[in-house]
Amino acid sequence: MSFDKFSDILSTIAEKVDDNKYLSSIKMTFTIYLPLIIIGSFATLFNVLLTSKTTGLAQFGPFDFLTSIEPAFTAIKFATMDIMTIPIIVILGMVLAKKNKQNEYVAGLVALASYITVIPQGIKTFVDNAESIVKGLPTSGIDASGLFIGMILTILVIEAFSKLANIDKLKIKMPPTVPAAITNSFNAIIPLFIILIIVSILGNIFKNISGLYLNEAIYNWVQAPLENAFQSPAGILFIIFLSQLFWLLGIHGGLIISPIRNPLAIAALAANIAAVEAGLQPTEAITLGFWFVFVVPGGAGLTFCLIIANLIASRREDHRMLSKTALVPGIFGISEPVVFGLPLILNPTFAIPFTIGPVITVGLALIAVNTGFITPNIVDVPFGIPLGINAFLGFGFKGVIVQLLILIIGILIYLPFVLFANKQVAKGNQ
Amino acid sequence: MRIMLACALGMSTSILVKKMEDAAKQQGKNYKIWAVDQSLIEQELGNFDVLLLGPQVMHILKKVKRIVGDAAPVAVIKPVDYGKGDGAAVIKFAEELVAEGKK
Repeated sequence: MSFDKFSDILSTIAEKVDDNKYLSSIKMTFTIYLPLIIIGSFATLFNVLLTSKTTGLAQFGPFDFLTSIEPAFTAIKFATMDIMTIPIIVILGMVLAKKNKQNEYVAGLVALASYITVIPQGIKTFVDNAESIVKGLPTSGIDASGLFIGMILTILVIEAFSKLANIDKLKIKMPPTVPAAITNSFNAIIPLFIILIIVSILGNIFKNISGLYLNEAIYNWVQAPLENAFQSPAGILFIIFLSQLFWLLGIHGGLIISPIRNPLAIAALAANIAAVEAGLQPTEAITLGFWFVFVVPGGAGLTFCLIIANLIASRREDHRMLSKTALVPGIFGISEPVVFGLPLILNPTFAIPFTIGPVITVGLALIAVNTGFITPNIVDVPFGIPLGINAFLGFGFKGVIVQLLILIIGILIYLPFVLFANKQVAKGNQ
Repeated sequence: MRIMLACALGMSTSILVKKMEDAAKQQGKNYKIWAVDQSLIEQELGNFDVLLLGPQVMHILKKVKRIVGDAAPVAVIKPVDYGKGDGAAVIKFAEELVAEGKK
C-alpha cells in the first residue's frame, strides 16, 4: 500500500468519525460533563487528604474537627460520580435531539425515563432477618457501569422518538388559540407513550428470560470486555499508536479517539474512586489523568522532548527558533506549534520517534503502576495543567518522578533523529 | 472585520489569536479576532466574516462548510503559518478570503 493511499484512508476515517452523528454526540456529551467528573474526583481527594482519620489532616489532634465535613465531600462525589449515567443520558438525548431537530427537553426526558424502566427499581435489604426490597435506584444501575447501556438505549430511543414525532397522525390536534409551547408538549405525548411502553415491556421480557436486568447484561457482555481491553497493555498501546498516526498527518488524534477513550477512561476513574472508598487499592491504570500525565506530557507525541532535544543538539537555526517559541505552549501540553511549525506532519525524519516514542514511554508508566511504584489515580487532571504540576496532582511525588523519567527517555529517543536532521542539512548545503 | 478561528478546545488557536491581534494592531487595523472549540461554530453563525480552521481539525472542513454555507468563507490555516504563529500571514490569508468571497 502506498503512503498516499494510507494517508487518504486515515483522513477518510477521521472525517467519518467526526461526521458520525452518534460518535460526535457521545464526544460532545462527555465534554459537557467532564468538569463535574473532575470536581467529583477532587472531592474524593479532599476526603483522603483532609477529613480521613487514617490518611488525612484530621488524624492530628487540632484538626479533628475536619471529620465533621466528610459527609459534605462524600455528597459531592456521590452527586457527580455515583449517579453519572443519569446526567450523561439526559445530555446525550438532548444533543442527539438537536441534531435530529426535535424538542431537546422532551428528548432528554424520554431518554431518562426509558433508561429507568429497564434498570432495577428496588434495593435488596434485610428487615427483621427477612429479605425485602425497598424502593429506590441502586447505584449499580446509575453509576459508571450504566454508561454503555445508557448510551446505546438513548441512541435507539431518540432515533425512534424522532421518527414518531414526525408522524402527523400521532399529533394531538389542538385549537389554534392554544399557545405553541403547550401544543408541542401535547404533540409529544403519543410518541413518548409508545416508546416507554415498548422499552419497558422489552426490558421486562429480557429480565424474565435472562434473569438479568438489561443494564447488568450489557455491562457484563459489552462494557466490561471493552474496559478490560482498554486497560490491557496491548489495548492502550494500540489506541495511542492509532492516535499518533492521525497526528502524523496533522489530524488531532485525541479528538478522533475520544468517543471510545473518554467513556472508558471515566468508568476507570469511577472504579478507582469506589475502590478507595471501600478501603481498597485502586486498580484501573488508564484514566484521563493517566493520559494527560504519562501519554501526552508536553504534547501528543512527546513533542516537548523534541523541543528540548532540539535546544540541546540541533544545528538547524529554523528548528532552534521554533523550539524556543514552542517551549512554553509545550509545558502546557500544546503540541501544535511543533507539529505544524517544524513541521512534524509527514516528516520522515521524525515520524518514527513521534509515533513509537509515546508507546515506549507509556510502557514505562504501566510498569511503574504494575510494580506498585505509583497507584492508579483518583484525581483526574484536566488538559492544560503544566508539566510536573499535573503529575503531582494526579499521582503525587512519585508521579512527578515517573513523568520526569518519561520526558528524559523521550529526549533520548529524539536526540539521534535531531542529529540525523543536522546531517541532512549539512548534505543539503554541500 | 471579524475573524473567528476554530480548533479542538480552542487552546492552541488562542496562541495564534494573540499573534494575529498584535499583527493587526501594527498594521493599524481594528479587527475582532477570537477562537472557539469546533463544536461551537454553529452557535457563532452570523458573528464572523471569515472562519479559519486550525490544521489539526482539517478533517472537519467539509462538514463546517456545510454548516456555514454562504454565510462566510471557510478555510484551513496553512500548517506552517499556524505552527510558527505567523500572525501577519494569517491576517493576510483572511483578508484574501473575504475579498474573494465578495467578488
